[in-house]
Amino acid sequence: MNNRFRNAHVLFAACLIVIFFGLRGVAEDAITAITNAKIMTVGPAGTIEKGTILIQGGKIAAVGASVSVPAGAVIIDAAGRVVTPGLIDAHSHTAMEDGVNECTNIVTAEVRVRDALDPRDISIYRQLAGGVTAANVLHGSCNSIGGQNATIKMRWGAGSGDALIFQGAPPGIKFALGENPKRSSFGGGSPRRYPATRMGVEVSIRNAFLEARAYKKTWDEYEASAKIAASAPKKGGKASAPAPLKVAPRKDLQMEALKEILEGKRLVHAHAYRADEILMLIDVANEMGFKVATFQHVLEGYKVATEIARHGAGASMFSDWWGYKMEVYDAIPYNAAIMASHGVVVSLNSDSDELARRLYWEAAKTVRYGGVSEDEAFKMVTLNPAKQLRIDKWAGSIEAGKDADLAIFKSHPFAPDTRVEMTLVDGKVLFDRARDLAARTGVAATLGGGQ
Amino acid sequence: MKISRYLMLAASGALGASANPSFAADAPLVIAGARVVTVAGAVLENASIIIQNGRIASLGSGLTAPAGARIIDGRGKTVYPGLFDGLTYLGLAEVTQGAPGTVDMNETGDVNPHAKTWVALHPDSELLPVARAFGITTALSAPGSAMGGQSLIAGQSAVIRTVGDTPKALTVKAPVAMHMRYPTGAPVIDFSQGPPNIEPKTFEQRIQERTKNQEKELLRLKGLLEEARAYGEGMAAGTALKVDLPMEALALAATGEIPVVMRASAEADIKGAIKFAAENKLKLIVAGGAEAWRCTAELKKGDVAVLMSVDQLPTREGDPYDAAYANAATLHKAGVRFAIVTDDASNSRNLPFEAAMAYAFGLPGEAAIRSITLSPAEILGVATTLGSIEVGKTATLIITNGDILDHRTSITNVIIDGQETSLDNKHQRLYERYKARP
Repeated sequence: MNNRFRNAHVLFAACLIVIFFGLRGVAEDAITAITNAKIMTVGPAGTIEKGTILIQGGKIAAVGASVSVPAGAVIIDAAGRVVTPGLIDAHSHTAMEDGVNECTNIVTAEVRVRDALDPRDISIYRQLAGGVTAANVLHGSCNSIGGQNATIKMRWGAGSGDALIFQGAPPGIKFALGENPKRSSFGGGSPRRYPATRMGVEVSIRNAFLEARAYKKTWDEYEASAKIAASAPKKGGKASAPAPLKVAPRKDLQMEALKEILEGKRLVHAHAYRADEILMLIDVANEMGFKVATFQHVLEGYKVATEIARHGAGASMFSDWWGYKMEVYDAIPYNAAIMASHGVVVSLNSDSDELARRLYWEAAKTVRYGGVSEDEAFKMVTLNPAKQLRIDKWAGSIEAGKDADLAIFKSHPFAPDTRVEMTLVDGKVLFDRARDLAARTGVAATLGGGQ
Repeated sequence: MKISRYLMLAASGALGASANPSFAADAPLVIAGARVVTVAGAVLENASIIIQNGRIASLGSGLTAPAGARIIDGRGKTVYPGLFDGLTYLGLAEVTQGAPGTVDMNETGDVNPHAKTWVALHPDSELLPVARAFGITTALSAPGSAMGGQSLIAGQSAVIRTVGDTPKALTVKAPVAMHMRYPTGAPVIDFSQGPPNIEPKTFEQRIQERTKNQEKELLRLKGLLEEARAYGEGMAAGTALKVDLPMEALALAATGEIPVVMRASAEADIKGAIKFAAENKLKLIVAGGAEAWRCTAELKKGDVAVLMSVDQLPTREGDPYDAAYANAATLHKAGVRFAIVTDDASNSRNLPFEAAMAYAFGLPGEAAIRSITLSPAEILGVATTLGSIEVGKTATLIITNGDILDHRTSITNVIIDGQETSLDNKHQRLYERYKARP
């Protein structure tokens, strides 16, 4: 499509949003109350058949069946509706312009998704319309060790990429195993580069961490010497350190990221499909002294659920995709059920700007495939991805003190007639279907046969 | 025995475990006391279906089971016509990326009217039992998939059943349609040859080139169709012709004997395809149809049906977020014929969920179910035997424990041509093998 034409559309859409949402900003201390709602808290309060949520300063101030609404509160009457925590997509490439894959090296731990975030990407608005309020925006799977992720909130209308960042979320990084880093499925035109086998993938990760351990040691020694130098008593203005202060090593951005992994400060999100490569990475992680936070896709995870659970890694997957390449030929829709029953924290993700808009139904599928309970199933798109991204202190359930990131559904999120009517991020209404419909003109107003 | 008496005995436990001894393969089959969504007419509560010789022999209440019949207790269950995925490459591909040896739906070259999918069906494809176990009994197996179908004329499709030991046994009807893509003039990029080398050009240059290319391609297609029509007329008149396989095949479409399924998604392409079909007297079916909601008047006027998938992003950034979800409801309201399809193979089992999304965004529930049963049967010319539960039709149906549009529903029985089929499939087997691995 013509870029100018496209941009005009985006601008138009952005203007509409500003008109309908931006100007409705309320004072920070104003209280919003969602009333008369069925509330699936996904927290200790369970499901409240008819209750109220109070929102103040972007946070949930109170939730319960008998919460009184203070005078002057802005009321959102959700009678007949179902309020849930905002959905969280633990594997996304949204709002990244075309910057998903820095494909040119085996290890690209130095590149950052946050440098490519585009707050005007219409996908943000479309995903709000599917109830999604946060996502783990990952680097692509081109390399054994890819770039650094960005955990974002869907703050449509934000003025910069940085304004999308989920404050407090620990940093992460993408690893990738199997066919994608091998570049084996991408046709004759793709230039071959190392690694071209699963053997090479293993070597490239071990090599990188051997280097990172040496780098860390150099820095640890330097920092120890600096500490001693700083604390040593001074005589005649001269330091009398027992060991001389070492020269500061040169910073290496790639090694810094790997050092953070070794220090447990950066979460590893490892794209993997086959059971053997999952076990391989667990072995390498154990040898090098780090943990895998989540296995991503992990479509053969059901074959080694016990080992994944023992390592303490989460699993984030498609509900039922299979057969699109050789390494997913054994993928089964019962994967989530088997992994959950082995004690793995499971989330269902999209990896797609389209699928992200119906994650609630992806969760519903696990009821069909393996008989997961509805409560556990819904956790797989709310609390569980929050746990995997270590943001469950702020998101994933409706509890007092957590961020007011909420979705309001027409009916139970698993029901066939359901859809998202309203989505709030930090207590602000960023999607409202009624307003969206009212803003449609021309041929768009005839969509759905006219409203 | 009266079926109502059987159900009473079954409810009281009087039938015991020996209620269903072994039956001959050709024994009559009775589904007793179920909710029957006939699609052709009203939903029947507490109704029974008697199946004999592969067909629906009778339907309703107060029926008597034929002697020797096997009875399936349908209480609390719902019966639907078998789900019909009206655009797939089922049977034609196993692993679409990285295993080209298993992929047979996209022939090389631009003009392949004589390529026939029913000669290349793989009966032991693992995709068939997976689709079947989740209710897909019938599918259009078509050449020229959305993912990589480059041919201007891709070949001919067949309606298949998802059970059978040979290609012939899988095939219900062939040929069904000639598959083409509406030429857009855009350069065809073959990503299997690596990243395309795109020359820097201005927007105006690109538009000009595209328009010129499109005119050329349309003229070429028109020429091929004229030639094929002449060839067909010659054949009909008994003229001795030099055998020309492409022309012989294309004549079927050029003379209107079979419809043409043309891929077109953008508004201009759909409208262009309708115009081209009218000028060339083709029976047109549009596949894709993402912007069909912008073309309802033209589709209605030309009586052109659409095979559409629902779970798609809007095609234009400024379009409503639910453009693809509400597409079906728009067509329904305008009286345009359509079927909801997956345009896929491994994901074919998600067909009812695509219909559910259309339902959630305004398509009435009955129309949603029709769009994955009777509507594709009508559009693809097999509705005299398939697509609904009516006396005399083929007994191809499914039994569920709930609403087929609900993701939580399970399919408990799949009956194709009056035979209950196995629900065993690769996914179930792996599940059984690994679910209790310590």
